Amino acid sequence: MKNRKYVKNLFTYLFLSLYGTATLFPFLWMVVTTFKSEGAIFEIPPKLIPDKLFKPGMWDNYTEVLLDYNFLLYLWNSTLISGAASFGQLITCSMAGFAFARMNFFGRGFLFTVLVAMMMIPVEVNIIPEFLMFSKIGWLDSYLPLIVPSFLVGSFGTFMLKEHYMNVPQSLEDAAVIDGCKTFQIYRHIFFPLSTAPLATIFVIAFMNNWNDLLRPVLYIQSPELRTVSLGLTQFQSLYSTDWNLMITGSVVSILPLIIVYLFTQRFIIDGMMTSGTKG
Amino acid sequence: MHYGKISPYLFLLPTLLGLALFRLIPVGVSFYAGFTSWNIYSPPEWVGLDNYTEMFKSKPFWTVLQNTLQFSLVFVVSVCVTGLVFAVLLNAKLRGIRFFRGLFFLPVITSIVAVGIAWNWILTPQAGILNLLLEKVIGLTESVSWLGDKKYALYSLTMVYVWKNVGYQMIIYLAGLQSIPRELGEASKIDGANSFQSFFFVTLPLLTPTVFFVLIITIIESFNTFGITHSMTEGGPYNATNTLSYFIYQNAFVHFRMGYASALAYVLFLLTLLVTGIHFLVKKRWVKYQ
Repeated sequence: MKNRKYVKNLFTYLFLSLYGTATLFPFLWMVVTTFKSEGAIFEIPPKLIPDKLFKPGMWDNYTEVLLDYNFLLYLWNSTLISGAASFGQLITCSMAGFAFARMNFFGRGFLFTVLVAMMMIPVEVNIIPEFLMFSKIGWLDSYLPLIVPSFLVGSFGTFMLKEHYMNVPQSLEDAAVIDGCKTFQIYRHIFFPLSTAPLATIFVIAFMNNWNDLLRPVLYIQSPELRTVSLGLTQFQSLYSTDWNLMITGSVVSILPLIIVYLFTQRFIIDGMMTSGTKG
Repeated sequence: MHYGKISPYLFLLPTLLGLALFRLIPVGVSFYAGFTSWNIYSPPEWVGLDNYTEMFKSKPFWTVLQNTLQFSLVFVVSVCVTGLVFAVLLNAKLRGIRFFRGLFFLPVITSIVAVGIAWNWILTPQAGILNLLLEKVIGLTESVSWLGDKKYALYSLTMVYVWKNVGYQMIIYLAGLQSIPRELGEASKIDGANSFQSFFFVTLPLLTPTVFFVLIITIIESFNTFGITHSMTEGGPYNATNTLSYFIYQNAFVHFRMGYASALAYVLFLLTLLVTGIHFLVKKRWVKYQ
């Protein structure tokens, strides 16, 4: 019996490691490539230990991409856009979640259904009118089209916070009313502070979605100095498609910030994703 | 109750405004735009069903539609099956299992463009690591152009999409598995069932609501194929990897045919509705709620 369990665990580890390798390999291979010189990239057979590792010029690819090709600026732009858009979600989602969870009003069920159903409509259906609207009001080539839509509506965040606020005991709300809290104060001083954990999850997920978005930056941004890091990478790809060492370095630079955030907030994100599944 | 009549709507104001401006109104506008001839520079002109008749007569449209369905089928099956298998493994109580959970989710948070570039690099025919690996392991001597050859391009691209996205479904399955009490599986084993029997006859039926949810989100995801396609193949070679989602982008923002693209967007919309609708209809037959 004990032996069989041992064999079973061994097989589980084996399969997990196999798939783990397939997941990790592209990342490792990218990092290795960033420390190679242009010539070393097409070496056959490829070397696992890059030629410039711990040698002078080890960080050449990085300095070239970050400074000469402006990726430092693109990183800053992406941080600004993603930060603003995600910050907006904290406010709008918590307000909407509060209303849906704790207030009775005409059309509550209907509006909530519409909000969730809209998640199912492909973005391609909305994007053409959206583009025309933004071009009419002169928002093209600015950050507003990248920030405002995400700032105002977050179906996932509203859904998550509604679930969270529904579990807050009624007595807490009653006590606040007796103490003379007005509606907005109840939200601001009771409910909002009670939801820091889901708010952190929503912020991180919204930040990642905005950071990785490609369609809207492709459509709305023209000026080189306004590029997001995803867009900068795409442009770089179409201009210098043979400079693999620089392209891969650009990719690593664009995902590194997210991976660092992910390492520290992994628990939040995975737990958040899990609630979205079980409650859906 | 004590919140009055107006304050709920004040709290919902930003959400409702966004919903109207960026979802509801655009859905209506693009329905109308589907019946017009419209580039950005001149106002739309009513052309009735012309966009739709042109679409059904054009050869690229049918190629793209076929690609879309083929992509969707392979993607949905691969994601749902791989996701489930690894979720079951991730549900084991083993040392270091949290590490694997974190690792498998990593591609989901990675930038689409970076994923595209990395896989382009791995799949490139000259000195691409995959071809070199295949040469070493199974002695393959011809250098396969994974993305340049019409035979393989769509499947190669599908696999990259699966690699990028499957971590999410894995986590959702895992959440479902963890909500099933472990005692049930143990009880069935005491009754003499082996691991496979206990999985297929006890766990899986209880997991059907999660499987249903995963199927729906995966189907929706499978029709949304802009990012990786844009950074890897741009629909080529000769439309071999072009899918509806990307075809709409090309028509709207490369050729500036907003009317035609809107009509295409509605075809995509109806396709999504149809496929998810069928799943909701047959739901009663196989989804079992506790």
